[in-house]
Amino acid sequence: MSVRSASLAELIERHRGELVGYLARMLGDRQEAEDACQEAFVRAHRAFGRLGPDANSRAWLYRIATNTGLNAARRRSHRAARAAEVDPDALPAAAGPSLERREELRAVRRAVEALPPRQRAALMLRQFQDLGYAEIAAALGGNEDAARANVYQALKKLRAALGGVRP
Amino acid sequence: MITHDDELIALLLGDRRRSRALGRWLGTLEGRRELAAYRRTLGALEGLYGDAGDARHTIYYCALPTPIGRVFVAAGEAGLVRLSFRQSEASFVAELGRRLAADVVRSPARTADIVHQLRAYFAGERRSFDVRLDLRHTTPFQRRVLLAAARVPAGQVVSYGEIARRIGQPQGSRAVGQALGQNPVPIVIPCHRVIAAGGRIGGYTGGLGIKRKLLRLEGALAAAG
Repeated sequence: MSVRSASLAELIERHRGELVGYLARMLGDRQEAEDACQEAFVRAHRAFGRLGPDANSRAWLYRIATNTGLNAARRRSHRAARAAEVDPDALPAAAGPSLERREELRAVRRAVEALPPRQRAALMLRQFQDLGYAEIAAALGGNEDAARANVYQALKKLRAALGGVRP
Repeated sequence: MITHDDELIALLLGDRRRSRALGRWLGTLEGRRELAAYRRTLGALEGLYGDAGDARHTIYYCALPTPIGRVFVAAGEAGLVRLSFRQSEASFVAELGRRLAADVVRSPARTADIVHQLRAYFAGERRSFDVRLDLRHTTPFQRRVLLAAARVPAGQVVSYGEIARRIGQPQGSRAVGQALGQNPVPIVIPCHRVIAAGGRIGGYTGGLGIKRKLLRLEGALAAAG
């Protein structure tokens, strides 16, 4: 017990920051991400005994975090009222003064909020969490081609949200 | 069927290299427009989600001369992350960047507070530090050991076994020694005040000469010790 649970504690410690960041990107809400991360660690605790000694433990944690995040997103979609609390037009402070740039950021944020949760997860895993397509596939289920297609589909939708762009 | 869109995305994400066909398309008005649009899409995504809490952060460091040689300190937003001596600047910076996945920038301004406190300490004008510590990169066990060591006041010493007892693991003095050996912020967390049983000085990652010097400075060791 002590050896394995100590190493799970270490594993969690090591990856906690990036997993909270991932869930925040996936859910668009820091507090919700913290809660989901806690829930993911409880699940990880239960499943740790089944993790093989040679397994990629980071990818394994991402799979658990992804499942937890997708569940949280599903629960939220049942609670439509919740959407009113999150202002999709709120921009980060560093967004810059240019009106055009602010419009662009708003459009892209709305498009991200409208993505199917799996596409959003795939996009964030690829773009911000440094996971390869094989690891994304392991996190989301399905194969590498499907993982890649999810990322590409998501980007096409975000690009479409920008509309006409001068070259 | 692979579209120009797919090829362009693959190129921008670094999934594949530019094909001849894509190169030709990028020469057209449509191609140029789409390249600009996808670049802006990715830029907006970065602006919106790049900083969601775990982004690669910046660590600031500085060096100061002391009686035990050049000491390096490094701190980030959350507090002091590293203190090191007997190391070259290049290896200190490289190790920090690698271990903390951070951009490491020299900044006397951002490290002025701890540098000031260290100067006072080595001048014998200060016996403890008032500084926020960022110990997130240690394990929970190491942290318990380090925090127990941090409570040993200047001028006193305790044994490894005593620290083990204080953290509720009386059989763990060897593990305590190992955890102290990986102290990321020596001096500030005074692992030099932890010694072997029977008054023997024990080990020190920075070298026993430095451990003796620090204890002498604090008056915990007679000048001849």
